[in-house]
Amino acid sequence: MASLEERLAAFVRSRLPGVEGVRVEGLERIFGGASRETFRFVLEYGEDGVPVSRRLILRRDPSGSLIDTERAVEFAAYRGFHGSAVPVPEALWLEEDERWLDHPFFVMEEIAGFEASPQAILAPPYDRHAAKTARQKWTILGEIARADASALGLTDVMQPVAPDACWRRELDYWEKRLDENEQCPQPVIRAAIRWLRRNPPPPAQRVGVVHGDYRTGNFLVDTEGRIRAILDWEMAHLGDPLEDLAWGINPVWRWARDGRAGGLAPREEAIRIWEEASGLTADPQALRWWEVFSSVKGQAIWVAGAREFSTGENHDLVLGISGWLMGNSQDRAALHDLGKLP
Amino acid sequence: MKPDPGRFLEIAAQQLMGTIGPALPAGYAQSSVGLLAVMLLEVKTELERAAARRVEENRGLRGLFAESLPLVTDAALRDRLDAAARGEDESLLASALERGNAALRGLLIELHAHVETLDSPEARRVEDAIWAELAASTERRRLALGPF
Repeated sequence: MASLEERLAAFVRSRLPGVEGVRVEGLERIFGGASRETFRFVLEYGEDGVPVSRRLILRRDPSGSLIDTERAVEFAAYRGFHGSAVPVPEALWLEEDERWLDHPFFVMEEIAGFEASPQAILAPPYDRHAAKTARQKWTILGEIARADASALGLTDVMQPVAPDACWRRELDYWEKRLDENEQCPQPVIRAAIRWLRRNPPPPAQRVGVVHGDYRTGNFLVDTEGRIRAILDWEMAHLGDPLEDLAWGINPVWRWARDGRAGGLAPREEAIRIWEEASGLTADPQALRWWEVFSSVKGQAIWVAGAREFSTGENHDLVLGISGWLMGNSQDRAALHDLGKLP
Repeated sequence: MKPDPGRFLEIAAQQLMGTIGPALPAGYAQSSVGLLAVMLLEVKTELERAAARRVEENRGLRGLFAESLPLVTDAALRDRLDAAARGEDESLLASALERGNAALRGLLIELHAHVETLDSPEARRVEDAIWAELAASTERRRLALGPF
């Protein structure tokens, strides 16, 4: 059977019929990315006698993952935001036909030489620039909230939602995922769900693009603290922009354990920057609703990963440890946001 | 049993992090080995407390159910809470304790939802006790490397 490199090269030949000598070199899996298998590789070919070498990323659906996500949406988000105030890699090819690499996949540009790991970003030399990174991080999120989804071509692939229906659609969806995947009762999160249904938020100020997983760990930063690319758009959708803000400041993403949102800046500072950049207001009551919701969504993701690790085909260790470490921290975050834990 | 199983896991984790991992090329395999070492250390923690935390929690939940019985207006739920309150752990195997714990926590969800619908100082007192138990339950399960 042909190697993954050979099969990927065959696919590229089908997409670039006018070039010669297509080769895939240095294919290497990148750690993390439990919703898709992520590989980096170098694509080499000749075009009009000129050698071309490009560093690219392959994002392939696994047999099972933390979450079932729509790759076409992720691909469209990269396409839509490329060249905008929201830095993203260039998306090249989306392929749904499984005959090429056994699972659907897409290929995009690699933004090479920068760091995504939260542990690395919160340590030298990156930590010196935490305030700068924080300002850019929350400003970019404001830009995402301001974005015209229709102009970016995203309304073609993302389901529309009315401003007063955003909360219910998301809560229904993630409660269903929890129902489907939990392997043991979740009394904290079930209590949180009841609280959310008793205390619905006001309608969204505007329906915008929601990244869906906007947190430290899902962007690339350079040693001067500049964010070079926003990654992992697999949960992007249309909705209330407060959803992204609340997710990003959830206690489980503090990492540094010192109370700073995303390990980078105080919570209130993050909110202030986001309000300034988005032109929206983070109403405290509405934001609190979305913060509690974030823990429901988070726990639904962790229990799905735990089920897949325990009973499915994907035994990526990230799935297993997420069920333990993140699952317990997520319960604690829910209790914290409900005022039941300091 | 010597070496102690927890010590065995600790040494295995040290070897993965200190010897085996660094010998691998940087990348997916090395990172996976590092994560595996972390997991072994967390398994060690869980191995040590597996029976203790479940016995403690099961006992606490049964006490909570007994305490709440006079308040519960749903007869069928009250009967199940009464039966659970009178129950006991029949085996100290972690798997058996876990099954019992899951049944009790499932019943706790029902009790909590029921109490939320009641309007009395006693209902609020039991509700506060349930929240306190939920907070305590996350502490019992807490792992050193959890982010929050």
